[in-house]
Amino acid sequence: MSADVQEVTAPLVGGSRRRPAWRLLAAGVVVVVLALLPLMLAAYPIGLMSRILAFALLVLSVDLLTGVTGLPTLGQVAYFGTGAYTAGLVGVHVTSNAPAQLVAGTLAAALVALVTGAVVVRTSGIVFLMVTLAVGELAHQAVDSLAFTGGTNGLVGIPPITLLPGGEPLLLSGFVYWWVLVVFLLGAAVAAVVVASPLGRSMRGVRDGETRLRALGQETYPVKLSAFVVAGALAGAAGTAWVAQARFISPGDLAFDVSAFALLAVVLGGAGSLWGPVLGAAVVIVARDELSSYVGGLGSMLLGAIFVVAVYLLPRGIAGVARVRRPAWTRSRGTA
Amino acid sequence: MLDWFDAYTGTVLNGLALAAVLFVIAVGLSLVFGTMDVLNLAHGSVSLVGAYVGVAMVGDSASIAAFVAAVLVASAIGLVLGGVLAAMTAKVSGHLRQALLTLGVALIAGDVLAEVFGSDVKRVRAPEGLDGSTEVLGTPYPVYRLVMVGVGLAVAVLLYLVLERTRLGAIVRATVADRDMVEAVGIRTTLVLGGVFAGGAALAAAGGLLAAPVLGAQPGLDDTILLLALVVIVIGGLGSLRGALLGAVLVGQVQVLGVALLPELASFMLFGAMGLVLLLRPAGLLPAPGRRA
Amino acid sequence: MSDELLRLERLTLRYGSLTAVDGVDLSVARGSRHALIGPNGAGKSSLFAVVAGTTRATSGRVHFDGRDVTGLREAARARAGLVRTFQHSSLFGGCSVLDNVRLASERSVGSPLRAWRSRRGAAEVTEQAMGHLEAVGLADRSGAPSGSLSHGERRQLEVAMVLGCRPVLVLFDEPTAGMSAAETQRFSELVEALPDDVTVVVVEHDLDVVFRLADRVTVLATGKVIADGDPETVRADPAVQSAYLGGRSTRSLFGGAR
Repeated sequence: MSADVQEVTAPLVGGSRRRPAWRLLAAGVVVVVLALLPLMLAAYPIGLMSRILAFALLVLSVDLLTGVTGLPTLGQVAYFGTGAYTAGLVGVHVTSNAPAQLVAGTLAAALVALVTGAVVVRTSGIVFLMVTLAVGELAHQAVDSLAFTGGTNGLVGIPPITLLPGGEPLLLSGFVYWWVLVVFLLGAAVAAVVVASPLGRSMRGVRDGETRLRALGQETYPVKLSAFVVAGALAGAAGTAWVAQARFISPGDLAFDVSAFALLAVVLGGAGSLWGPVLGAAVVIVARDELSSYVGGLGSMLLGAIFVVAVYLLPRGIAGVARVRRPAWTRSRGTA
Repeated sequence: MLDWFDAYTGTVLNGLALAAVLFVIAVGLSLVFGTMDVLNLAHGSVSLVGAYVGVAMVGDSASIAAFVAAVLVASAIGLVLGGVLAAMTAKVSGHLRQALLTLGVALIAGDVLAEVFGSDVKRVRAPEGLDGSTEVLGTPYPVYRLVMVGVGLAVAVLLYLVLERTRLGAIVRATVADRDMVEAVGIRTTLVLGGVFAGGAALAAAGGLLAAPVLGAQPGLDDTILLLALVVIVIGGLGSLRGALLGAVLVGQVQVLGVALLPELASFMLFGAMGLVLLLRPAGLLPAPGRRA
Repeated sequence: MSDELLRLERLTLRYGSLTAVDGVDLSVARGSRHALIGPNGAGKSSLFAVVAGTTRATSGRVHFDGRDVTGLREAARARAGLVRTFQHSSLFGGCSVLDNVRLASERSVGSPLRAWRSRRGAAEVTEQAMGHLEAVGLADRSGAPSGSLSHGERRQLEVAMVLGCRPVLVLFDEPTAGMSAAETQRFSELVEALPDDVTVVVVEHDLDVVFRLADRVTVLATGKVIADGDPETVRADPAVQSAYLGGRSTRSLFGGAR
């Protein structure tokens, strides 16, 4: 297994290098298969797939910061939560229209990311990890104590989403899944576009040498803040997708564990690559929600053990963020 | 102003009591980070272990002697846990991977503790003789919380003497400032680091137990403690004793006053305090000399 | 003196009680090849750091291209054309060779914060970057991960990155340290091939390189300028001889033996 995983965990070198046609083809096949799943699977596994896709978008946002920009984060739940609660509150008080909830939740999360990020991105490395952890935990506490978010009980009574104004509510899990899939694909497309853009290159520049980038005349603060806002928006979109399928959101969904699992998915999948962490997300959700019943409800313990093993066995899995001066993998590989 | 002070005497004292345990817990996290750049995300778990030692050994009633014995046991367990964590992280290269390793340990520990002690809130009584009230500026106030402040101050003074007046302390301070230099003069920093890790964890466990009569013991408390300790050292400055003390006092007041005045917004105030410090003094208020942000 | 590009006035940098740069006055002419030499610990790298803005000066002023840049941050000085390299090669190790140069070119001809790719912008940046890679002889390595380059190639890549910044003045910090004789030769040719309107200040230990490239030499010792002039004058200066050699013969220093 380890050989496969190491392949998965090798970060992208270029990001903007031309992709071979077969990769586009493979991506197309995956999308078609994902789109056809509701016709083949029962309601329960479709619900699981919805959760995986929503979580995977959160994981992508963590990867944009951790893997691409070199800013390891444990705080994306704050923006995931902002998106989820905004979508839920819009659903309860304004409209059950899903695109409206998506837009509102994403914008709210981006705004919160802009305000908090303005302070947070002044740090780097482990201190960034420390500060984002604090931000995530504080968001967790905040929704726990605020009245309009339902406090500890969470936000209940969120109506099922509709697609068109005045349209039929989507009650079947297959339809909800399709909406979550749309949100995921939109988010993944945004992530892919950003990674291949000049901003994406600047983000990798920050990861590989923040001081060097400054010496080239590029202020790194706006690069980091832009990355933070994009990642925040993606996490917010993930939050709206999560609420669309769960129709419930509570402080527990913003707990420290969720941040930890999202980071674990990135580590497992290979920081800096985009599709690896998505697979990592699937592993994490399946382990937490499905396998935990086999280990007496100790899902966190199982994932904690995976974490420890991953750190020992997958040194390349986090090569992109380990910020070693000369990453070993760059020497062991020939020309790309 | 004086009226306000009267009304909030209890609150201010509560803030100091919280600051005392936060200091005892956070100073280890700060020194471990300062000496070896390891962010120990299992630090809150060690504190929670200390609190559960209190649940097991003190529970509903205990004499002062039994309570002190529990503190000693908690410290000893903390010492061992810290040594194990130091040995585990020493085998891993890269600060992020070290942090992730401790994160994995924290997840495991959380589940194990919840399995052993259950998921409900467990109470720990203050030791007999210290569980009453006394008058402070005309208002009754629990004696035990005053004891907490006293213990916090005592730990601060003791640590100050060890760090500033002993050869061991000089080595630790030098390691914070410039690890390579200390290694160059032939001191094995891994031993220093292991010692700091173990000592810091012992303090964290003792702090968790000291706080238990106020905060109790329950799953999730480990995350809360870790959060508060992180905010303390971000505000105070990494790797410095005085920074941890100042940070703890500020966080204690902000947290307790925030909960008393604007309970819904307490976490926003805590973030505001941290954000303000990061904006104005990115390295914290009293960082250790020789370190940059 | 001809047109002045860089002027340092009483520039001082103190770390606590240590004075790394001590009231340095220095003038660099536009288009010149200016070498900065001095014994180890003379404060050459510290001076570079203060001039480039990597480190804030304790006191004194830096004038560049007719304006006072003392208050500008490092990135802003680099945008004004005052670009430095580092003593230890510092590349973007996870990025390809081409991307290393693109990061520099993007800032000068593109828009480094644009979150989507524009075909035209990307083509322009890539064309620029490839041009710089060709200039330093690395065009055939453009797709390689920069971490896989040899030491000499890394230095060549650094020059390409500097070119990507459209520099007015380049500060090279010990560029030939650790190079083989052939690599040093190659590097000297690169610097000689730089356009005449690019001014070069180089900290260099290899005096062969210094006297090959430089038309002016400044000698620094314990943070102070002890001599400044054309190579021949500096070579004969008794203060330089005593600071550098403790009064011994100049042969061992300037005779080419190293």
